[in-house]
Amino acid sequence: MVYFHESVCISPQKSFPDMDLSEVRESENNLLDVIEPNYPGIPAGAKRRMGKSVRMAVGAALPLLEKYPLPDGIIIATANGGMEDCIKFLNQILEYKEGLLTPANFVQSTSNAAAGQIAMVTKNHQYNTTHVHRGLAFENALMDVVMLIEENKDAGYLLGSTDEISPYNYNIDRLAGWYANEYIANRNLYHSKAKGTIAGEGTFMVWVNGEAQGASARLVAIKTLHGEDVSSLQETLKRFLSENISSGQMPDILITGENGDERQQPYFDAVESTMDARVTVARFKHLSGEYCTASSFALWLSIQIIQSGTLPAVLIKKRGSSNASRQILIYNNYRGLQHSFMLVSAP
Amino acid sequence: MGLISAIGDSMEQNRLALQQERSGIGDIQYYQTAYAGRLPSAEVKISTERLNKKIFGTPLASITRTSLLALYAVEEAIQDSHLSKQELISAETALVGATTVGGMCLTDELYHDALAKENGTSYLMSYDYASISLAIQERYGIGGEISTINTACSSSANAILYGARLIRHGFAKRAIVGGAESLAKFTINGFNALNILSSQPCAPFDRDRKGLNLGEGAAFLVLEREEDCRDKRKYAYLSGFGNRNDAYHPSSNSPDGEGPYLSMKAALENSGLAAEEISYINAHGTGTENNDETESRAMLRLFDQTPAFSSTKSFTGHTLGAAGAIEAVYSIMNIFHQEVYPSLSFRHPIPETGLIPVLHFAKQEIRHVMSNSFGFGGNCSTLIFFKNIVHGLFS
Repeated sequence: MVYFHESVCISPQKSFPDMDLSEVRESENNLLDVIEPNYPGIPAGAKRRMGKSVRMAVGAALPLLEKYPLPDGIIIATANGGMEDCIKFLNQILEYKEGLLTPANFVQSTSNAAAGQIAMVTKNHQYNTTHVHRGLAFENALMDVVMLIEENKDAGYLLGSTDEISPYNYNIDRLAGWYANEYIANRNLYHSKAKGTIAGEGTFMVWVNGEAQGASARLVAIKTLHGEDVSSLQETLKRFLSENISSGQMPDILITGENGDERQQPYFDAVESTMDARVTVARFKHLSGEYCTASSFALWLSIQIIQSGTLPAVLIKKRGSSNASRQILIYNNYRGLQHSFMLVSAP
Repeated sequence: MGLISAIGDSMEQNRLALQQERSGIGDIQYYQTAYAGRLPSAEVKISTERLNKKIFGTPLASITRTSLLALYAVEEAIQDSHLSKQELISAETALVGATTVGGMCLTDELYHDALAKENGTSYLMSYDYASISLAIQERYGIGGEISTINTACSSSANAILYGARLIRHGFAKRAIVGGAESLAKFTINGFNALNILSSQPCAPFDRDRKGLNLGEGAAFLVLEREEDCRDKRKYAYLSGFGNRNDAYHPSSNSPDGEGPYLSMKAALENSGLAAEEISYINAHGTGTENNDETESRAMLRLFDQTPAFSSTKSFTGHTLGAAGAIEAVYSIMNIFHQEVYPSLSFRHPIPETGLIPVLHFAKQEIRHVMSNSFGFGGNCSTLIFFKNIVHGLFS
């Protein structure tokens, strides 16, 4: 069994050190950037050298590793790594016509820089890897941890995600049509009827092991899927539910990655329609914005909801008859191609 | 298995070059960079346009060289393992790809798209790392778990061990695993800024080594449980693997090679082997001052008597995200054909460590082969391959 213990989230909303969703921070120019703490744990010199995604990841990991200093592995998801450093280095290449360049941006931009820095700062020699599979990078990292715990029942792992939105990857994805060209306020995200959504970023870090004692939540199951066919998505969901929930039962809450992009809505509608009247439907992208590892923000929310027993009103799309918040199904889809289900319950 | 590298576009061509001690390192002919003719590199000897036509007939506008190299190697691996369409689309077939530069080989296009107000290029969806696995997934309709891993120069070693674990845990029945990399201004300039590119063909483990040469290529392997292989050809078993972190510096190994040592040790423990059972090591052996000395120290720490070893990067250059997979294929060829491939350009041992790699192609009895891949971020991984031999024949 896989249990989530303490977690840390740095997001565009008030999530660090504690969650406070009583007020929703508004997006600017179709973008939700994170509220960065000042990371007292990172030495000033090192902090200056770090790009945003690495800084967020190390800054979120350090407080957890104070409590759990000896992870048996560090497993990080990031689809893009240090995008800003990457383009800064490209800029050097072009500006100086491949002349004498400084390597700092190059080294910082590699996508394993976050996992590597966390290992370096905490002198951790254990299993260390970085999953980068676009919209399923986080789910794959979680799968990795599921297998690690099965391999080593007494071990504990640092699992995390980090992705930054720089002006550059924002622009590339905007040109590709994934961020809306017209202005959308995040409070109107689900009524925009636009092609495209708003951008976001964030970091999530969680301590995961096989122990129920002191846990905040349990991972019941995870399933990923590639494809654009709505009916096979629905079949996968039905099989997933029948394998993991006793027959006739439903999760208390469904949290979807609905993002206002009309092209992706059919998938969210299909998943929602598979639920019955008991299930409360919630959504989160108006808080986080869209990014490759945004499903990790939904997992963080789920852990908070299960632990506190309350579902923040700002997340609710449709209230179901179940008042419980013991079992949550997260469904996310990235660009209509990469789908994931994560079923989380009280420990 | 399937691979393409600077020394050939098939397993057979690669083997021939390794036997004939023919390196693929030379002047850059196809890729446009200011360093063409100045920094020797191991380029795959085919233009991107021709490769695109060869694979797609009508060239695809949105695909990058890295993905094309991957598709080329995957096709050979699929043919070689006789995977049927049914098997490919099965939910029990996983795909684990790896790369460090991804689609960023298109430096100029990426820069344009990062800043342009409108009129993006046709590559907008192809720059990221996942684009390589997704290109394969799309072409063959692979139906199971799909992943992409980037742990710098150990990426595809980690893809291989991740695929093996997916099978062990029952998340897949078979896994197509490997990596792809192409030459890029991004990496050429990055490694050059770090002063670790050699202006000569690299000389792994040599006293006077001057650095590494970048290379490009791709390799993919098909993994299955023994009981599912039936009458298929079995090249070798992946008998163990290790993944450890050096936790020392973002871009160089600790002086005594702690990460490399721990990674090799973890792989031995995972396979249940004693150090003296290793017949041969395909070393990481980049040819940089730092790697070769620290890797040597790690080998000396782990082995009472260092086994035969060499670095095939003296043939292929350092193919970064593809290196672990290319060298895994070579390691398996070592076992399957009972032969060792040399390190080229070696003259004098490093005085502090005194290790001498295999210097010439030779037929030799090989049972257990270790393959090392170490990268930036302290990421170190080791794979061990094995094949039973009874009286010189494969059981």
